[in-house]
Amino acid sequence: MRGEFPSKILFLRRRKMKTIGIILLTFFCVFYYGLGLTYAQQEVKVGVLIPLSGGLAVIGENLQMAHDFAVKEINEAGGIKSLNGAKIKLIYADTRGDSKIGMSEAERLILREGVVAIVGAFQSSVSYTSTEVAEKYQVPYLVPNSLMDAITERGFKYTFRVERKGSLWAKDQIDFIADMGKATGKSAKTIGVVYENTDMGQAIAKGIRKWAPEKGLTIGLDEGYPPKTSDMTPVVLKMKRANLDIVILNSYTSDAILLIRTIADQRVNPVAFLGSSSGYSDPSFIKEVGKLAEYFFDLTEWTTDLKHSPFVQQKNVAYKKWNKDNRDFNGGAAFCYASTYILYEALEKAASYDPKKIRDAFAAIKITKGPAMMIPWTPIEFDAEGQAKGARMLVVQYRDGQRKSVWPAEISSTKPVWPVPKWEERK
Amino acid sequence: MSWNRTLFALAVLAAVLFPLVVRDPYFLHAAITVLLFAFLASSWNIIGGLAGQHSFGHSVFLGIGAYVSTILFIYWNVPPFLGMIIGGIIAAIASIGIGYPCFKLRGPYFALSTLAFTEIFRIIATTTEQVGPVDLKGAAGILISFRPGNSFVNFQFAEKAYYYYIILAMLILILFIHNWIEKSRWGLYLAAIRDNEDAARSIGINARRFKILALMISAFFGAMAGTFYAQFFLYIEPILFSSALSIEILLIAIVGGAGTLMGPFLGSLILTPISELTRTYLGGTYAGVQLIIYGGILVAVMMFAPQGIIPPLAKRYRMLFERRA
Amino acid sequence: MIGFIEATISGILMGGLYGFIAVSLSLIFGVAKIVNFAHGALFMVAMFLVYWILVLLKVDPYLSSLIAAGFLFFFGYFFQRFFIEPILRREKETAPLTVILLTSGLMMIIENVALLLFGADYRTVKTGYTGKVWEIAGLFIAQPRMIGFVLSLILILLLGLYLRKTNLGRAIRATSQDREAARLMGIDDYRVYKITFGVGGIMLGFAAAFLVPFYFVHPAVGELFVLKSFVIVVLGGLGSITGAFLAGIIVGIIESLGAQFINSALVESLIFIIFIGCLVVKPTGLLGKQRE
Repeated sequence: MRGEFPSKILFLRRRKMKTIGIILLTFFCVFYYGLGLTYAQQEVKVGVLIPLSGGLAVIGENLQMAHDFAVKEINEAGGIKSLNGAKIKLIYADTRGDSKIGMSEAERLILREGVVAIVGAFQSSVSYTSTEVAEKYQVPYLVPNSLMDAITERGFKYTFRVERKGSLWAKDQIDFIADMGKATGKSAKTIGVVYENTDMGQAIAKGIRKWAPEKGLTIGLDEGYPPKTSDMTPVVLKMKRANLDIVILNSYTSDAILLIRTIADQRVNPVAFLGSSSGYSDPSFIKEVGKLAEYFFDLTEWTTDLKHSPFVQQKNVAYKKWNKDNRDFNGGAAFCYASTYILYEALEKAASYDPKKIRDAFAAIKITKGPAMMIPWTPIEFDAEGQAKGARMLVVQYRDGQRKSVWPAEISSTKPVWPVPKWEERK
Repeated sequence: MSWNRTLFALAVLAAVLFPLVVRDPYFLHAAITVLLFAFLASSWNIIGGLAGQHSFGHSVFLGIGAYVSTILFIYWNVPPFLGMIIGGIIAAIASIGIGYPCFKLRGPYFALSTLAFTEIFRIIATTTEQVGPVDLKGAAGILISFRPGNSFVNFQFAEKAYYYYIILAMLILILFIHNWIEKSRWGLYLAAIRDNEDAARSIGINARRFKILALMISAFFGAMAGTFYAQFFLYIEPILFSSALSIEILLIAIVGGAGTLMGPFLGSLILTPISELTRTYLGGTYAGVQLIIYGGILVAVMMFAPQGIIPPLAKRYRMLFERRA
Repeated sequence: MIGFIEATISGILMGGLYGFIAVSLSLIFGVAKIVNFAHGALFMVAMFLVYWILVLLKVDPYLSSLIAAGFLFFFGYFFQRFFIEPILRREKETAPLTVILLTSGLMMIIENVALLLFGADYRTVKTGYTGKVWEIAGLFIAQPRMIGFVLSLILILLLGLYLRKTNLGRAIRATSQDREAARLMGIDDYRVYKITFGVGGIMLGFAAAFLVPFYFVHPAVGELFVLKSFVIVVLGGLGSITGAFLAGIIVGIIESLGAQFINSALVESLIFIIFIGCLVVKPTGLLGKQRE
């Protein structure tokens, strides 16, 4: 320094000024660095919980592709504009189809990865439990596909679910049967529900038991079979003996394939078969079963030939071109794709990285345009419990190996064949 | 001997101080899981290690404990700590029913019969939905509602450290019990039964009685673990009864060294983090690889160290110690 | 009434196939006292082999069954040689736990390697008789199941003949009755174990070929049959081929008829209860010989 000062006081003052100067300088450095960081933080981290290994790996892979496609589109179109073009980054976590793992993965995504929102987890039991973790840490959780009623019946503030409630799936199935009876004059009196003894199967069965009597239908067979059964013949023989008008089925893919083959072998001939999505909407089902699936009805949340929005065709074609297997969307994938757009809208609306603000955006959202409109109802919004308002299911019929929408008539492209031809008359 | 005691005391001290040093809830969660499985494996160790009866049915007791305390809690507001004891007693009684037929068998037949019991329980839990006023929910499982805050009455804590200390206390308890049994006369009988049951019988040891007693103790503590599990993870489902979980538990005890005191703890210390880590880093992209690794560990241990890690380590440790002294 | 006849026949047909799958386990369990949890995984390997031969080379499963059987012979032989034999040589009384865990680990590895290689899709095939049905007096019998049943029966009779008439067969039976005595007679018991495992593999190869026409192929398909096979083996009696086949048919009938009366999920537990009951009352099974 320059030399000594004559006065101690001046010296001390100098010292003090130096310290203040250094403090101010540090403060400004940190401030600008922080500002720089905010600009550098060009991505919004979102956790995705899906089964990527184990028995449901096929399904998980399918959903992953749909999410990736949506995010690719969003990021290429400029990302989240209200966050200076920040890109969405999906962080996948394999739940292995296990609720315990789902819960700990949710925690890891929130605490270690610092995600601002979670999407998942396909299986109801996994979504049910992992949403509780998100609620605890106050991170919004969007559920595209799970149907367990209780997911949005707990007074949670951070759970938002797109899929229709499981008990109402059953109601839609009953309504479809009743409508078909009215429309064609060939109504059904007895129905049977044959389902895999898992949470989804049991949820559907419970719903059928509740809604069938309201439309005057009697349940002739209520059969929950153990998942991973090696032989479906006993169940199918029971089905045959019960002489049912309609058989409602709920299975995962492997059982669905075995069931249909055995049903064809044994020539079980009701008025119609009605699937409850799951295995029956899995692309490998139609691939493996081929012509046997013809005339099979399936309850689903979505299909490729819906008429309510041009996005359905448009985006499906683009997706097909983009993905390596040349796959169409199926119900689950379409909802994941659309949900990613719902997430996008919420992020735009929130204009913040704060999970609480993002949650508020979800609660207040009302979407009436954009690719999210693939979903067959409008507007897309959530009620106080986080359940999507206006959610409804559709029914498709397999015709020429394609899933053609047949109900509700206003958004469907094809007239259903009811009753379905007997096995002996086919081929 | 006192060297062992000092080591043990130091280990306990380190364990007690752990949550004060490591505050990251994710690490605490992992530590709690390690301790929980160490506890479970230690409870198996009583019947599997000390008595030499390699039961594949331990998950049944875990499941019974979890379901009993949860149902008592949800429907009749019984505090889970009390429910834990009740669950333990019920599991012990159930173990008599399981042990009676199974202990008549030896070797692979015994193993298969215990396995069959896990399947029976799992199927019953999956299919049964309503039993009187109680809704077991079948395959969907039961979710315990999340209550904010820390409460011993509700056995639910927002701070993971509470869970940590509880499971640590439980682990220390069962280690003391293991040690007490091993050093007692009863432990001698069990060891005789383990090494050669026929010879033991021929000198007048009532093998069946002692085996069932050992199983009852294993069952009691296994059920306690079930209650802890339920209150920690806040979700129980019929899969808890599955044979896969049984195998996981006994693998931990085997890898560490069945019959030894600290074997299960060491086994859990090694295996639980491996399964967590492989899942975290390999789960997403190369799904199934973690199971290949898990299987590989199984094969390697069985081919090269079926006695577990402890016996060869103990030998080396003693060698070291002897050389110094 | 006709429903019950249908159920019984269906139970017999499927049960016969279950029994045939269990026969190889019975041999291995009976002779070498090995609890082989990887049984299902080996079965899966055979199924994939038959599948790929059909899809890539267009060879009918009933023909390629010979190839599958041959391949599985060596697979089983080397499986025993490299993994199980070292343990047998090391310990005099092999703890069943060791082998159970070893084979469980091997099962996990085999299944998940298959998962990595082939993916998780459920694959089915279409052969000339897939989905074809014979109609007899109002009963529908699926052709592939009937053919599989008949062929299994023939093969089991052949196997029985082999074990009784040939030297190697007799050596196998001797070893299963008394390992020590067999050794004293000059039989190399380790070689016998390997051959037995190989023969078991042959049976699995054929069984896979019989199932592919009407079933599906998937890396985890073996799991559906493992526990059931163990139940059948114990019910039928250790080391008894005919016992395993008969027990398989019994299990098949219980499954089929039982489902007509009670919920099919509970039928599964019924089978396990019967299993435990059998173990307690007569551990040697229906046709098993007295041992230990």
